[in-house]
Amino acid sequence: MKIVGFLCNWCSYAGADLAGISRLQYPADIRIIRVPCSGRVNPMLILKCFQKGIDGVLVSGCHPGDCHYQEGNYYTRRRMLMLRSLLDYFGIDRRRFHVSWVSASEGVKWADVVKKVVEDVRAATEEGTRKVTGTEQIDHDRGN
Amino acid sequence: MIEEIKNIAGKLLKNGDIGLFIGYGRNSLGDVIPVFIQKEKDVKTLVWGSDCFYNLTTYLTDRDITRLQEGSIGILLKGCDQKALKVLISESQVRRERIKIIGVTCDGMKNPDGSILSKCETCDVHDPDPALCDAVIGGKSTKKEAKDDFADVAAVDALDSSARREHWNRYFKRCIRCYACRNVCPLCYCKECVLDEHNPQWVSPSPSADNNMFFHIIRAYHLTGRCIDCGECERVCPVGIPLRRINRKMIQAVRESFDFEAGKDQKTKSPLTWFRQEDPEDFF
Repeated sequence: MKIVGFLCNWCSYAGADLAGISRLQYPADIRIIRVPCSGRVNPMLILKCFQKGIDGVLVSGCHPGDCHYQEGNYYTRRRMLMLRSLLDYFGIDRRRFHVSWVSASEGVKWADVVKKVVEDVRAATEEGTRKVTGTEQIDHDRGN
Repeated sequence: MIEEIKNIAGKLLKNGDIGLFIGYGRNSLGDVIPVFIQKEKDVKTLVWGSDCFYNLTTYLTDRDITRLQEGSIGILLKGCDQKALKVLISESQVRRERIKIIGVTCDGMKNPDGSILSKCETCDVHDPDPALCDAVIGGKSTKKEAKDDFADVAAVDALDSSARREHWNRYFKRCIRCYACRNVCPLCYCKECVLDEHNPQWVSPSPSADNNMFFHIIRAYHLTGRCIDCGECERVCPVGIPLRRINRKMIQAVRESFDFEAGKDQKTKSPLTWFRQEDPEDFF
């Protein structure tokens, strides 16, 4: 399974790092992309992941009020809420898209979040909800 | 009503208050078309009727028109079209002082077979907003305001995830990616659209059902909190994709989550550009 995680540099990435330093076990299905702020995560990036056949996406940032840039995650919250209802409306299983708040000190929470996400995505896959793409060949895709 | 429109438009053109008037006319087949009038003597070609459903605000951001036209522009707008104008003003795409607005009362637009358009049935702005208009024509609309219950959206929401996917796939399979929905949209004004970008290429232009779905997600997302449900996209779609059903989902979501409705005033921007600390986050 392939899951992409967009992690903000200041909280969630440090949280994931802490989980590693603390030698916490969590599934290795997640590929982490570090971004300066969860507000940097353009919903188009998430859509691109799904187009490329990724099974699930996780966006993680600082808790509301703790953003390094004061307010980036408040925008994220609105955007992701809307994106999720849109994806859901188009029949993309809601268990494939997750958002979480993980601070730099929450290594344990990070491990739990990943476990939960992987579980959800796996359940969605096993229940036979189709992959978001991959039902037909995408031709002429330049592979950006 | 039409005489009043001609009078006011003629006067504005004659006095040089505006250099161009955008209104409705008819082509040789008798169909309603948008007309662009620059001379006072041409105002006689203006028409008004129950088939003037175009949303003319699209042309206010059309660069071919705004570039040629240095002076002010006059435009004929229904109450619903004014919502689009308010969004454009709030996003600094149109300068209010550059346009003269003639607002016209609407009793609901009709299909060729005489039935009322579905968007008009749930419309709540049959009367133009006098605060926005330079002139208002027609008294109070005879059409009653109706409550919008979003039944079309609820019908899709009631399906389960894979059934929804099937529901949309049926439509997206036939999308030919002509982008008519984007081109006609009064709020899709970007000079360079992400859909035309090649590097990075956000979505492949080849028309497969999957690619088309992502195209429609992107289109709908970019209109989140901005779409005023003028229904032009659905009207121009050559393959009959029910695009309003998509847009209205987002209208409903924005209303429920952020208590916001696009086109209500010309100061508040799209809800994705501001926030409240107590915004919902129940799925995080």
